[in-house]
Amino acid sequence: MPKPGKYNNPPWKKQFNNDHDSRGNVGDNNNRRVNLKHNRYPNKGHQKNWSASIRAHLEDEDVDMGSSSFDRQKKIYNNKRNGRTGSPVPHKMGERRKLLESPTNWFRVTLPYGNKYDKPFILRSLLERVTPIPFIPFAWRAAGNSATFFVDDYKLADKLNSLDRQIHCPDGFKLIIRVHSGSPNVDITDSLKETLKLTMAKRYNLANKALDLTKFHADPHLQDVFCALFKPIILLTVIEIISENIPELEALNLNENRIQVLNHLKKIDKKLPNLKILHLGNNKIREMAMLDPLSGLPVVELVLDGNPLCTKFREQETYISEVRKRFPKVVKLDGIDLPPPIGFDIVEEVRLPPSVQTYLCSAEAQNIVRQFLQQYFEIFDGGSRQTLLQAYHEQAKFSLTSAYSYGQTPKNSSWLSWYNTDNRNLLRVQDHDRRLKLLKQGHLAVVSFLSEMPDTKHDIHSFTVDLTLFTPQLLLLNVSGIFKELRSGHKSAPIRHFFRTLVIVPAGSGFCIANEQLHITNATEQQIKNAFKTPIIHTTQPGPEVNAAPAPVPSTSMVDGNTKQQMIQTMSQQSGMNLEWSQKCLEETNWDFNRAAFIFTELQKQGTIPAEAFVK
Amino acid sequence: MELKAKIDQSCRTAEEFTKLYYESTDKRRHLISKLYLDNGLLTWNGNGIIGNERIQKFYMELPSTDHVITTLDAQPILDNAVNGQLSFLIQVSGTVKYQDKTPKTFQESFVITAQNDKWKIVSDCFRLQEPLNTDKN
Repeated sequence: MPKPGKYNNPPWKKQFNNDHDSRGNVGDNNNRRVNLKHNRYPNKGHQKNWSASIRAHLEDEDVDMGSSSFDRQKKIYNNKRNGRTGSPVPHKMGERRKLLESPTNWFRVTLPYGNKYDKPFILRSLLERVTPIPFIPFAWRAAGNSATFFVDDYKLADKLNSLDRQIHCPDGFKLIIRVHSGSPNVDITDSLKETLKLTMAKRYNLANKALDLTKFHADPHLQDVFCALFKPIILLTVIEIISENIPELEALNLNENRIQVLNHLKKIDKKLPNLKILHLGNNKIREMAMLDPLSGLPVVELVLDGNPLCTKFREQETYISEVRKRFPKVVKLDGIDLPPPIGFDIVEEVRLPPSVQTYLCSAEAQNIVRQFLQQYFEIFDGGSRQTLLQAYHEQAKFSLTSAYSYGQTPKNSSWLSWYNTDNRNLLRVQDHDRRLKLLKQGHLAVVSFLSEMPDTKHDIHSFTVDLTLFTPQLLLLNVSGIFKELRSGHKSAPIRHFFRTLVIVPAGSGFCIANEQLHITNATEQQIKNAFKTPIIHTTQPGPEVNAAPAPVPSTSMVDGNTKQQMIQTMSQQSGMNLEWSQKCLEETNWDFNRAAFIFTELQKQGTIPAEAFVK
Repeated sequence: MELKAKIDQSCRTAEEFTKLYYESTDKRRHLISKLYLDNGLLTWNGNGIIGNERIQKFYMELPSTDHVITTLDAQPILDNAVNGQLSFLIQVSGTVKYQDKTPKTFQESFVITAQNDKWKIVSDCFRLQEPLNTDKN
């Protein structure tokens, strides 16, 4: 065997190729090497393909593309070569090189002098000639003299290819059109992400929690950018946008997007935890195993029809069972209901009862709780917590615990060091004296500690309220929610989660806190995402009281103006107070007439209502 | 009883109580009704369940759990509020795994009271630390 090096660069070869270059105006290493190979090893299998594709080319036949990609490259190469060698000679009809189909069916159309002319002129001229094939140019770019765009249809690309030098331009030249297989490169920029987001929002059906991304790249909003979902980076970005904005998504339609690979979607089950319906029809997925990365999705309805993988199954049963291996919950496949899978009677699924925002052991307490929370947190956030002195029992007890929540550390979340100084975590604090010292006793001690705490702003919409005891002697109230810590020396205001237990006892005409336990931790990512977002249903309702309403009972603060006037009149008649004071009384009880009447009677008994209230 | 001793007792009782309580919820749910007053109350993420038998039934239907406590705190409740009956307020935070899934952070608050010579739960309020209505916002 001769050494390869000897034959790779024979002295005459350079000469030959130079000659070739000067004649043909083009030439590259590939050309050289392939020529050489064929000269030296004429019996290799390549030759067969080579000549076959030449023949195919000359006969202008559509070549069977079912063979390996190696063959395909050869054929494309062959076309290039032929185009080059023939380039000095003007094309005649019927001799034109045949455009080959590409795996993605995306084609780059280059107009070497396209930018010398009006874009509308070019588009109009092309449109006229390709009709009735729909003409949609993607990602138009102009650079120097040339212009490029992309098309996603083989017929269109082939037609454009045939229009090379067929269009007369205003300056007398004929428009050169080059068509090659290819799709644009994409950089994910913020503006592209924003465009994607808007387009997706438009295609999102809130009622069904369904996102329809069928033929996404063809969306009129995305004509100027290239957003084909078969590009992994685009699909990944789209999934990311879903997980950030609509994690509740239940149905996703990805039909007709030429998706080939899904390997990059390994964590998709975490990003789309609620996805029940997935349409992947008419894509380019070749093997069932390519769906493995998606197998964690709780999909019950799946469409795979129109993918090459479907033709690999002779038996419908095998197909179904292969699908169920990956998606055990599927009951509908390609639009057909499947018999339910036979499982076991012991349920493995974790189904927790849904959360409820408020529990009140007594409906009567609704107003007391609401007012108490409103007033308390208004003062607490208001900056002068000394005022809370009245809100605590003389012998009030208060203690604080604090810890990082699951998965959080001082490194990846805001420090809790301020709270750690007074952290009465009995698991850590074993010393009796220390335990005693950390329990703040007496309302002075309690309020002075509260005053030292960082300034806060609580998100009242995030509150959960559980009233678990309501007796004449006490109310036991548990409140949890989110607050923002202000001016506490952190770079950005930390969002914290609190859980507060309050033993509230009657005092005089009102109530005060006898015992309080406060737990503070950092809000979770999910909580931060939802923090300080007013729920949509509240924005249409007047008055901030409504938002704070912790009970499902219809709020009395929604009383309309007329009813209010009537209530004031009645109140005034029954109590003997003037209209102004009657109104005040009703306002303070959120227009709960009975409550207002009750408070009036109580205050009257104590003689605390000023005389001016009765001056009419 | 002297207040200082009471505070001390509340801490020790809380330590024993929580150990027993979480062992029972994780491994001996069929006995959990014994920890509650007959008319005790559990609120589980806002779902109220009244009565120790019903509470036990609720627990039996919950997926298996594994609780790990991170913080614990306790204090005696003001006498006037509980008619002088010795009662403690206990607060716990920690993580809970539902059937080997990723742990979730929770907070829980108890009122326990001495009935005859046994501690019983009067009220038990459990909350997972997660946003509400994530599917609505």
